[in-house]
Amino acid sequence: MIDESTLARVIARALRRGGEFADVFCERRTSQSLRLQDGNVHEAACGLVLGVGIRVISGESAGYAYSDDLSLEALLQAADAASHIARGGNNGIAEPTLRHEAVASWYDGLRDPADSARYADLLARADVAARAYDPRVVAVNAHVGDELQEVWIANSEGRVVHDRRPMVTLGVQVVAGDAQERSSGYVGDGGRTSLAYFDDHSPEALAREAARIAIVNVSAVAAPAGEMAMVVGAGGGGVLLHEAVGHGLESDFNRRGTSLYSGRVGERVASELVTIYDDGNLPEERGTINVDDEGVPGQHKVLVEKGVLRGYMQDLLNARLMDAHSTGSGRRQSIRYLPQPRMCNTYMPGGESSVEEILASTERGIYAKSFAGGQVEISKGDFVFMIGEGYLIERGKVTAPVKNATIVGNGPDAMTKVTAVAGDSRLARRHYTCGKGGQYVPVGVGMPTVKISSITVGGTRHDG
Amino acid sequence: MDETGALELAAQAVGYATACGADAAEASVTIARRFHAEARDNVVAKLEQATAKSLHVRVFSGGRRASLTTTDLTADGLRAAVARTVASAAHVARDPLGGLPDEFASDSPALHLFDASVEARDAGEKIEEALALERMTRAYDPRIVNSSGSHYNDATSITALANSAGFAAAYSSTRAGRSTSPVATEADVKRTASYGTAGRHLGDLESAHHVAEMAGRRTVELFGARKPTTMRVPVIFERDVAAGILEDLLAAVSAANVAVGNSWLAGRLGERIGSAHCNVVDDGRLDGKLGSAPFDGEGVATRRTSVFEAGRLHAFLADTYYARKLGVAGTGNSNGNGVGANSFYLEPGKATLQDLIASTPCGVLVLDTIGFAHEYASGTYSRGARGFFIRDGELAYPIDEFTVAGMYPEMLAGIDGVAGDLRFDGAVVSPSFRVAEMTISGS
Repeated sequence: MIDESTLARVIARALRRGGEFADVFCERRTSQSLRLQDGNVHEAACGLVLGVGIRVISGESAGYAYSDDLSLEALLQAADAASHIARGGNNGIAEPTLRHEAVASWYDGLRDPADSARYADLLARADVAARAYDPRVVAVNAHVGDELQEVWIANSEGRVVHDRRPMVTLGVQVVAGDAQERSSGYVGDGGRTSLAYFDDHSPEALAREAARIAIVNVSAVAAPAGEMAMVVGAGGGGVLLHEAVGHGLESDFNRRGTSLYSGRVGERVASELVTIYDDGNLPEERGTINVDDEGVPGQHKVLVEKGVLRGYMQDLLNARLMDAHSTGSGRRQSIRYLPQPRMCNTYMPGGESSVEEILASTERGIYAKSFAGGQVEISKGDFVFMIGEGYLIERGKVTAPVKNATIVGNGPDAMTKVTAVAGDSRLARRHYTCGKGGQYVPVGVGMPTVKISSITVGGTRHDG
Repeated sequence: MDETGALELAAQAVGYATACGADAAEASVTIARRFHAEARDNVVAKLEQATAKSLHVRVFSGGRRASLTTTDLTADGLRAAVARTVASAAHVARDPLGGLPDEFASDSPALHLFDASVEARDAGEKIEEALALERMTRAYDPRIVNSSGSHYNDATSITALANSAGFAAAYSSTRAGRSTSPVATEADVKRTASYGTAGRHLGDLESAHHVAEMAGRRTVELFGARKPTTMRVPVIFERDVAAGILEDLLAAVSAANVAVGNSWLAGRLGERIGSAHCNVVDDGRLDGKLGSAPFDGEGVATRRTSVFEAGRLHAFLADTYYARKLGVAGTGNSNGNGVGANSFYLEPGKATLQDLIASTPCGVLVLDTIGFAHEYASGTYSRGARGFFIRDGELAYPIDEFTVAGMYPEMLAGIDGVAGDLRFDGAVVSPSFRVAEMTISGS
């Protein structure tokens, strides 16, 4: 996108007031999508992001500027703006000699752009399948899109890497019910692949699943309120790990000492049944990256092993300050933002129990089959997640579906109360996006069926 | 680039679209010069300064619509992207309701959206302000030994809109804000809270001293919090939390959601939903406010719309397309690609927050929530929360790790007290209010 001699010149300019490190993040992202409502393709959208972000690191400080204009003059101006973070350091550096580094590939970045005629077909098939599922279906809203993000990252240490990251998404929301009572179900899928993915993962199956959840929620009873046991479903239950533990292990919070997990590597932070990985190398998953947005290859990381905290997710800035190495976790939404340490695909491997014995051992509780999202407060570790599909467990049996409710808990407390882990670990359907500091990046989550002995369910039904 | 340059660029994009065969087209250009300084301890942790340019185009071709968002503003790049967008409309179904609005803003109200002193401010002074805010925050209480940063940010923006019906107008605006997030420690427990202020004019901002004090107080006042028992009680939502409820309400009154079944308010226009205290307004013409603009994302004049009047659902907020779709009047609420708020707020009452607390024999004051709505069809509200337990009209003790839940229709009908503490620090805002009864879920 920009020739190497220009990149080298921009890096030298960025460091002319001092600073230990500078990098240039060049991005070209093209996207197209179609949206369906009322049985018709309602609109088409195209997107193009093109620009360059320039960062200077000086100690704990980062200076940042970006430019949508790729002229040398505009790039040097942005380098000047970023350079102001360093004051009176060295008197500049020589232009670095840049070397291209090849990286392993976990997805096919060279595929052809999708044929947009196929989009409309996928949407129409999803619409027909959802409406045929049940007469109580009142509305189907769906979108399909694909994107290709191409990045070139060059830094003052002389590295240049290039990555082409595809992403396809098909999402279906189904609203069901009558005039009195309405509910909805949403399911999305896709990943770092091509539209051919939907040959094996049909839009009909996706739409029927969204319709099934909407119908289940129509007949749902009010969720109970109070403390009780919870069984977390395989796959989508992984949102629990992402919120209760994952964010707290991002190195910015830990370097600053604002996370409750700060300074606790080597300590027991969960039941010994709990092992958690974050992995950037799972083929075609949403959270997979050949390199992160600082040019470091994505990696498989052990976060928690048999209940013991093993390490944090590091980006370059925090790793330098913590005398550690980047774990390939520096990610950003686009050229508009500085990178932050982020999760990729976070999951728990399977354990020894069976789903049947976990349910049978639960006298009264809630079965959270899937979550619609979650959030955490880093310092004290309190988290929430919102049930997408949930049921009551009464005397060891899964009974009535319950309405959307929020579950609230505290990270280490909930993880210590993990009393059983089943062998059915799998990754969730690919539709999760994580927000942090106003930046959104695609992620994956995964989980086996897990029992937590006690947690607070935020329903409205209080049985006294 | 100035307003004239932005308008020329928008007109150029419209020209490319019609040249490619579009029957009608609209383009808006946004140019924002942004500044952000984050101070942490005695260090400037982040310094971000850049100008973001972007262009949004909508094209209509044979009753089909398509849109483009691009940051490539070179003539060749723009021409190619617009051509691709016009071509992509071929996959869209014909819809007679699509197209540009019938009427455009013709007035130029003096809304005072621009403060020259924001634009003129020296970078060094702004950095020093962030550092000073960080020092003040840490000085508030000895337990505040850490922070997630103190911030000063501002932006100077130009918004220009042109379309093939001959509308062309632009305006400039500013915004500035300061905020801080201290972290306090007591007996190995860390707690954090944030507080901030924002406005179009520097003079509208709350003082750095006040911001530091509010953030500091919110951080330390919850030490020793207990988990409450599960019960049904009156709940008072402090104004910043209440603003989050208004965000959900905005989604439910958006004609774009109503039209696709994703709103619990669908089909209920004219019904009495809320209590007499439930007066909700969207206003795009408030003097100098963050939600104000002379015209919306389609060039339609902004106005004041009464959404709920004494609890009665009076109007949905709509852009041109969804107004036609629902057969209602447009309200000047296009955000360029759907429906968005101008200043959307619950009208303030005469009481103070203290009055609401004092008139609550037993209840809960919610100061912060986590979690979010993921759909608006069912009208369910459920959030993780923290705050205070109220006994005999006084704050008895702090509580956390509980949820507060209810159904929206009952919550709006249950509003029995509204405070006068509304502030316009965003587009969607609210004063504190009390709901007669909700479920608190704890131990």
